[in-house]
Amino acid sequence: MSDYDLASLHVMIVDDYQPMRHILRGILREWGILKVGEAGHGREALETLKNFPADILITDYRMFPIDGLELAKSVRSGEAGCDPYLPILLITAFTEMKTILEARDAGVNEFLAKPISAKLVYYRIRSMIENPRPYVRAEEFFGPDRRRRSLPITGEDRREVKQETKGLERQGERE
Amino acid sequence: MAENDAPRLIVPPNPLKTKVGVGGPGAVTPEALERAEAVITDLGDDYLKWVEDDLAKLQTVMISLKAAKGDNSGEVKAIFEIAHDVKGQGGSFGYQLMTEIGGHLCRFLESIESANPAEIGVIEVHIDALRLVIANKMKGDGGKAGDSLYKGLEMVVAKVSG
Repeated sequence: MSDYDLASLHVMIVDDYQPMRHILRGILREWGILKVGEAGHGREALETLKNFPADILITDYRMFPIDGLELAKSVRSGEAGCDPYLPILLITAFTEMKTILEARDAGVNEFLAKPISAKLVYYRIRSMIENPRPYVRAEEFFGPDRRRRSLPITGEDRREVKQETKGLERQGERE
Repeated sequence: MAENDAPRLIVPPNPLKTKVGVGGPGAVTPEALERAEAVITDLGDDYLKWVEDDLAKLQTVMISLKAAKGDNSGEVKAIFEIAHDVKGQGGSFGYQLMTEIGGHLCRFLESIESANPAEIGVIEVHIDALRLVIANKMKGDGGKAGDSLYKGLEMVVAKVSG
Protein backbone atom coordinates (compact mmCIF):
# COMPACT_ATOMS: atom_id res chain seq x y z
CA MET A 1 0.00 0.00 0.00
CA SER A 2 1.46 3.33 -1.03
CA ASP A 3 1.32 6.49 1.01
CA TYR A 4 0.40 9.19 -1.50
CA ASP A 5 1.21 12.86 -1.30
CA LEU A 6 -2.06 14.47 -2.36
CA ALA A 7 -1.09 18.11 -1.79
CA SER A 8 -1.07 19.03 -5.48
CA LEU A 9 -4.68 17.96 -6.04
CA HIS A 10 -7.62 20.27 -6.62
CA VAL A 11 -10.74 18.82 -5.01
CA MET A 12 -14.30 20.02 -5.50
CA ILE A 13 -16.77 19.33 -2.66
CA VAL A 14 -20.50 19.53 -3.36
CA ASP A 15 -22.99 19.10 -0.51
CA ASP A 16 -26.03 21.10 0.54
CA TYR A 17 -25.28 20.37 4.19
CA GLN A 18 -22.64 22.93 5.18
CA PRO A 19 -21.27 20.91 8.15
CA MET A 20 -20.44 18.06 5.75
CA ARG A 21 -18.43 20.41 3.54
CA HIS A 22 -16.69 21.69 6.68
CA ILE A 23 -15.75 18.14 7.76
CA LEU A 24 -14.46 17.15 4.32
CA ARG A 25 -12.45 20.35 3.96
CA GLY A 26 -10.89 19.69 7.39
CA ILE A 27 -9.92 16.14 6.42
CA LEU A 28 -8.41 17.25 3.12
CA ARG A 29 -6.50 20.06 4.82
CA GLU A 30 -4.89 17.50 7.11
CA TRP A 31 -3.52 15.76 3.99
CA GLY A 32 -2.17 19.01 2.57
CA ILE A 33 -4.99 19.52 0.06
CA LEU A 34 -5.60 23.25 0.20
CA LYS A 35 -6.97 23.81 -3.29
CA VAL A 36 -10.57 23.01 -2.46
CA GLY A 37 -13.68 24.28 -4.22
CA GLU A 38 -17.09 24.19 -2.58
CA ALA A 39 -20.65 24.26 -3.83
CA GLY A 40 -24.01 23.77 -2.15
CA HIS A 41 -25.69 22.01 -5.06
CA GLY A 42 -25.12 20.72 -8.56
CA ARG A 43 -25.90 23.93 -10.39
CA GLU A 44 -23.44 25.91 -8.30
CA ALA A 45 -20.87 23.16 -8.85
CA LEU A 46 -21.28 23.33 -12.62
CA GLU A 47 -20.62 27.08 -12.48
CA THR A 48 -17.56 26.63 -10.25
CA LEU A 49 -16.13 23.81 -12.36
CA LYS A 50 -15.85 26.19 -15.32
CA ASN A 51 -12.99 27.95 -13.52
CA PHE A 52 -11.81 25.42 -10.96
CA PRO A 53 -9.51 22.73 -12.39
CA ALA A 54 -10.80 19.87 -10.23
CA ASP A 55 -8.88 16.60 -10.14
CA ILE A 56 -11.52 14.91 -8.01
CA LEU A 57 -15.19 15.72 -7.53
CA ILE A 58 -16.73 14.68 -4.19
CA THR A 59 -20.48 15.07 -4.25
CA ASP A 60 -23.57 14.39 -2.17
CA TYR A 61 -26.57 12.77 -3.84
CA ARG A 62 -29.81 14.56 -2.90
CA MET A 63 -29.57 18.29 -3.59
CA PHE A 64 -31.79 20.94 -5.17
CA PRO A 65 -32.05 22.08 -7.94
CA ILE A 66 -29.43 19.73 -9.42
CA ASP A 67 -28.52 16.59 -7.50
CA GLY A 68 -25.27 14.63 -7.47
CA LEU A 69 -26.30 12.15 -10.13
CA GLU A 70 -27.44 14.85 -12.55
CA LEU A 71 -24.14 16.59 -11.85
CA ALA A 72 -22.22 13.40 -12.67
CA LYS A 73 -24.16 13.00 -15.92
CA SER A 74 -23.40 16.62 -16.88
CA VAL A 75 -19.70 16.05 -16.28
CA ARG A 76 -19.65 12.84 -18.30
CA SER A 77 -21.60 14.40 -21.17
CA GLY A 78 -19.04 17.17 -21.47
CA GLU A 79 -21.75 19.79 -20.87
CA ALA A 80 -19.98 20.90 -17.70
CA GLY A 81 -17.00 22.11 -19.72
CA CYS A 82 -14.58 20.16 -17.54
CA ASP A 83 -12.77 16.87 -18.04
CA PRO A 84 -15.43 14.23 -18.84
CA TYR A 85 -13.15 11.65 -17.20
CA LEU A 86 -13.09 13.61 -13.92
CA PRO A 87 -13.05 11.05 -11.07
CA ILE A 88 -16.28 11.33 -9.08
CA LEU A 89 -16.83 10.11 -5.52
CA LEU A 90 -20.45 10.05 -4.36
CA ILE A 91 -20.94 10.34 -0.59
CA THR A 92 -24.48 9.76 0.58
CA ALA A 93 -26.63 8.38 3.36
CA PHE A 94 -28.83 6.79 0.66
CA THR A 95 -27.24 3.36 0.76
CA GLU A 96 -29.87 1.20 -0.89
CA MET A 97 -28.81 -0.94 -3.86
CA LYS A 98 -31.13 1.12 -6.09
CA THR A 99 -29.10 4.26 -5.34
CA ILE A 100 -25.79 2.47 -5.91
CA LEU A 101 -26.97 1.25 -9.31
CA GLU A 102 -28.27 4.71 -10.23
CA ALA A 103 -24.91 6.18 -9.24
CA ARG A 104 -23.08 3.64 -11.37
CA ASP A 105 -25.34 4.42 -14.33
CA ALA A 106 -24.73 8.14 -13.88
CA GLY A 107 -20.98 7.60 -14.28
CA VAL A 108 -19.85 7.77 -10.67
CA ASN A 109 -16.45 6.15 -10.01
CA GLU A 110 -16.65 5.46 -6.28
CA PHE A 111 -19.39 5.33 -3.67
CA LEU A 112 -19.11 6.00 0.07
CA ALA A 113 -21.89 5.74 2.65
CA LYS A 114 -22.45 8.41 5.29
CA PRO A 115 -21.54 8.62 8.11
CA ILE A 116 -17.99 8.84 6.84
CA SER A 117 -14.58 8.35 8.38
CA ALA A 118 -11.36 9.95 7.16
CA LYS A 119 -9.84 6.54 6.44
CA LEU A 120 -12.72 5.55 4.16
CA VAL A 121 -12.42 8.83 2.23
CA TYR A 122 -8.69 8.15 1.72
CA TYR A 123 -9.30 4.55 0.66
CA ARG A 124 -11.74 5.70 -2.02
CA ILE A 125 -9.28 8.32 -3.30
CA ARG A 126 -6.51 5.72 -3.28
CA SER A 127 -8.72 3.36 -5.25
CA MET A 128 -9.23 6.04 -7.90
CA ILE A 129 -5.45 6.49 -8.12
CA GLU A 130 -4.48 2.83 -8.17
CA ASN A 131 -7.40 1.09 -9.83
CA PRO A 132 -8.94 3.42 -12.37
CA ARG A 133 -11.51 1.58 -14.43
CA PRO A 134 -11.57 1.90 -18.20
CA TYR A 135 -14.45 3.94 -19.58
CA VAL A 136 -17.22 2.70 -21.78
CA ARG A 137 -18.84 4.74 -24.51
CA ALA A 138 -22.09 3.12 -25.59
CA GLU A 139 -25.23 4.41 -27.21
CA GLU A 140 -26.81 5.47 -23.93
CA PHE A 141 -23.92 5.48 -21.50
CA PHE A 142 -20.56 7.08 -20.99
CA GLY A 143 -18.67 6.44 -17.80
CA PRO A 144 -16.47 4.04 -15.86
CA ASP A 145 -16.88 0.41 -16.87
CA ARG A 146 -19.83 -0.91 -14.88
CA ARG A 147 -18.30 -4.39 -14.81
CA ARG A 148 -16.58 -3.92 -11.50
CA ARG A 149 -15.15 -7.40 -11.23
CA SER A 150 -13.23 -9.28 -13.90
CA LEU A 151 -15.82 -11.92 -14.57
CA PRO A 152 -15.43 -14.23 -17.55
CA ILE A 153 -17.63 -13.16 -20.46
CA THR A 154 -19.64 -15.92 -22.07
CA GLY A 155 -19.77 -15.35 -25.80
CA GLU A 156 -18.27 -12.50 -27.73
CA ASP A 157 -17.26 -9.27 -25.97
CA ARG A 158 -18.70 -6.65 -28.33
CA ARG A 159 -16.70 -3.86 -26.80
CA GLU A 160 -13.85 -2.49 -28.86
CA VAL A 161 -10.85 -1.65 -26.67
CA LYS A 162 -9.28 1.68 -27.40
CA GLN A 163 -6.20 3.04 -25.65
CA GLU A 164 -6.20 6.72 -26.21
CA THR A 165 -5.30 10.09 -24.82
CA LYS A 166 -7.92 12.56 -23.78
CA GLY A 167 -7.00 14.77 -26.70
CA LEU A 168 -7.66 12.01 -29.18
CA GLU A 169 -10.90 11.11 -27.48
CA ARG A 170 -12.07 14.71 -27.64
CA GLN A 171 -10.97 14.95 -31.26
CA GLY A 172 -13.00 11.82 -31.98
CA GLU A 173 -16.03 13.43 -30.39
CA ARG A 174 -15.77 16.45 -32.64
CA GLU A 175 -15.67 14.39 -35.81
CA MET B 1 -26.94 -1.97 -33.17
CA ALA B 2 -24.77 -1.29 -36.20
CA GLU B 3 -21.21 -2.56 -36.01
CA ASN B 4 -19.71 0.92 -35.70
CA ASP B 5 -22.15 1.68 -32.84
CA ALA B 6 -20.64 -1.11 -30.75
CA PRO B 7 -19.69 -0.02 -27.22
CA ARG B 8 -16.11 1.21 -27.02
CA LEU B 9 -13.87 0.51 -24.08
CA ILE B 10 -11.63 3.52 -23.56
CA VAL B 11 -8.50 3.46 -21.45
CA PRO B 12 -7.86 7.14 -20.68
CA PRO B 13 -4.65 8.44 -19.15
CA ASN B 14 -4.58 8.50 -15.36
CA PRO B 15 -3.79 12.12 -14.41
CA LEU B 16 -4.32 11.39 -10.72
CA LYS B 17 -1.50 8.87 -10.75
CA THR B 18 0.87 11.30 -12.44
CA LYS B 19 -0.13 14.24 -10.26
CA VAL B 20 0.21 12.70 -6.80
CA GLY B 21 3.55 11.90 -5.22
CA VAL B 22 4.51 8.75 -3.38
CA GLY B 23 6.09 8.96 0.06
CA GLY B 24 7.92 12.03 1.31
CA PRO B 25 7.04 14.41 4.11
CA GLY B 26 3.59 15.21 2.70
CA ALA B 27 2.48 11.61 2.25
CA VAL B 28 -0.73 10.34 3.81
CA THR B 29 0.83 7.92 6.27
CA PRO B 30 -1.15 5.90 8.82
CA GLU B 31 -0.31 8.72 11.26
CA ALA B 32 -1.77 11.29 8.83
CA LEU B 33 -4.92 9.17 8.61
CA GLU B 34 -5.19 9.19 12.39
CA ARG B 35 -4.71 12.96 12.43
CA ALA B 36 -7.51 13.31 9.90
CA GLU B 37 -9.76 11.12 12.07
CA ALA B 38 -8.88 13.41 14.96
CA VAL B 39 -10.10 16.37 12.87
CA ILE B 40 -13.54 14.78 12.93
CA THR B 41 -13.33 13.96 16.63
CA ASP B 42 -12.27 17.53 17.40
CA LEU B 43 -15.41 18.76 15.67
CA GLY B 44 -17.50 16.99 18.33
CA ASP B 45 -18.61 20.25 19.96
CA ASP B 46 -19.49 21.67 16.56
CA TYR B 47 -21.48 18.52 15.85
CA LEU B 48 -23.60 19.09 18.96
CA LYS B 49 -24.28 22.63 17.72
CA TRP B 50 -25.16 21.41 14.21
CA VAL B 51 -27.42 18.67 15.47
CA GLU B 52 -29.17 21.10 17.85
CA ASP B 53 -29.90 23.23 14.79
CA ASP B 54 -31.29 20.16 13.02
CA LEU B 55 -33.42 19.25 16.04
CA ALA B 56 -34.74 22.81 16.22
CA LYS B 57 -35.64 22.63 12.53
CA LEU B 58 -37.39 19.31 13.11
CA GLN B 59 -39.35 20.86 15.96
CA THR B 60 -40.43 23.79 13.78
CA VAL B 61 -41.58 21.53 10.94
CA MET B 62 -43.31 19.26 13.47
CA ILE B 63 -45.41 22.22 14.64
CA SER B 64 -46.35 22.94 11.00
CA LEU B 65 -47.14 19.28 10.44
CA LYS B 66 -49.52 19.17 13.38
CA ALA B 67 -51.20 22.40 12.30
CA ALA B 68 -51.50 21.49 8.61
CA LYS B 69 -55.00 21.02 7.26
CA GLY B 70 -55.31 18.59 4.37
CA ASP B 71 -52.22 17.58 2.42
CA ASN B 72 -49.14 17.56 4.66
CA SER B 73 -46.76 15.82 2.25
CA GLY B 74 -44.58 18.96 2.12
CA GLU B 75 -43.95 18.81 5.86
CA VAL B 76 -43.31 15.04 5.68
CA LYS B 77 -40.74 15.59 2.95
CA ALA B 78 -39.08 18.41 4.93
CA ILE B 79 -38.76 16.15 7.98
CA PHE B 80 -37.28 13.41 5.80
CA GLU B 81 -34.59 15.76 4.49
CA ILE B 82 -33.54 16.86 7.99
CA ALA B 83 -33.68 13.31 9.41
CA HIS B 84 -31.52 12.18 6.53
CA ASP B 85 -28.85 14.73 7.45
CA VAL B 86 -29.02 13.53 11.06
CA LYS B 87 -28.58 9.95 9.86
CA GLY B 88 -25.58 10.93 7.78
CA GLN B 89 -23.73 12.76 10.56
CA GLY B 90 -24.15 11.01 13.90
CA GLY B 91 -21.89 8.00 13.36
CA SER B 92 -18.94 10.17 12.29
CA PHE B 93 -18.94 11.78 15.75
CA GLY B 94 -19.56 8.67 17.81
CA TYR B 95 -23.34 9.12 17.93
CA GLN B 96 -24.22 5.90 16.11
CA LEU B 97 -27.65 5.86 17.76
CA MET B 98 -28.50 9.16 16.03
CA THR B 99 -27.64 7.51 12.71
CA GLU B 100 -29.78 4.47 13.59
CA ILE B 101 -32.81 6.45 14.77
CA GLY B 102 -32.50 8.96 11.93
CA GLY B 103 -32.35 6.06 9.46
CA HIS B 104 -35.34 4.38 11.11
CA LEU B 105 -37.36 7.58 10.79
CA CYS B 106 -36.32 7.95 7.14
CA ARG B 107 -37.43 4.41 6.32
CA PHE B 108 -40.79 5.06 7.97
CA LEU B 109 -41.23 8.34 6.07
CA GLU B 110 -40.38 6.61 2.80
CA SER B 111 -43.33 4.29 3.40
CA ILE B 112 -45.84 7.16 3.61
CA GLU B 113 -46.48 10.16 1.39
CA SER B 114 -48.46 12.18 3.87
CA ALA B 115 -49.07 11.51 7.54
CA ASN B 116 -52.34 10.72 9.35
CA PRO B 117 -52.62 11.50 13.10
CA ALA B 118 -51.20 8.10 14.13
CA GLU B 119 -48.26 8.52 11.75
CA ILE B 120 -47.67 12.05 13.05
CA GLY B 121 -47.37 10.44 16.48
CA VAL B 122 -44.74 8.03 15.15
CA ILE B 123 -42.72 10.90 13.70
CA GLU B 124 -42.94 12.80 16.97
CA VAL B 125 -41.63 9.93 19.12
CA HIS B 126 -38.67 9.58 16.76
CA ILE B 127 -37.86 13.27 17.12
CA ASP B 128 -38.25 12.98 20.90
CA ALA B 129 -35.87 10.01 20.84
CA LEU B 130 -33.29 12.00 18.87
CA ARG B 131 -33.53 14.84 21.40
CA LEU B 132 -33.14 12.36 24.26
CA VAL B 133 -29.95 10.91 22.75
CA ILE B 134 -28.36 14.34 22.46
CA ALA B 135 -29.63 15.63 25.82
CA ASN B 136 -28.11 12.60 27.56
CA LYS B 137 -25.04 12.45 25.29
CA MET B 138 -25.76 8.79 24.55
CA LYS B 139 -22.71 7.95 22.46
CA GLY B 140 -22.17 4.74 20.54
CA ASP B 141 -25.18 2.45 20.53
CA GLY B 142 -26.36 3.93 23.83
CA GLY B 143 -25.99 0.65 25.71
CA LYS B 144 -29.09 -0.94 27.26
CA ALA B 145 -30.96 2.37 27.28
CA GLY B 146 -30.21 2.86 23.59
CA ASP B 147 -31.30 -0.66 22.80
CA SER B 148 -34.65 -0.31 24.56
CA LEU B 149 -35.17 3.12 22.98
CA TYR B 150 -34.62 1.70 19.49
CA LYS B 151 -36.77 -1.37 20.13
CA GLY B 152 -39.53 0.91 21.39
CA LEU B 153 -39.43 2.84 18.12
CA GLU B 154 -39.61 -0.41 16.15
CA MET B 155 -42.68 -1.41 18.13
CA VAL B 156 -44.37 1.94 17.55
CA VAL B 157 -43.82 1.67 13.79
CA ALA B 158 -44.99 -1.95 13.75
CA LYS B 159 -48.17 -0.99 15.60
CA VAL B 160 -49.05 1.81 13.18
CA SER B 161 -47.95 -0.05 10.04
CA GLY B 162 -49.54 -3.34 11.03
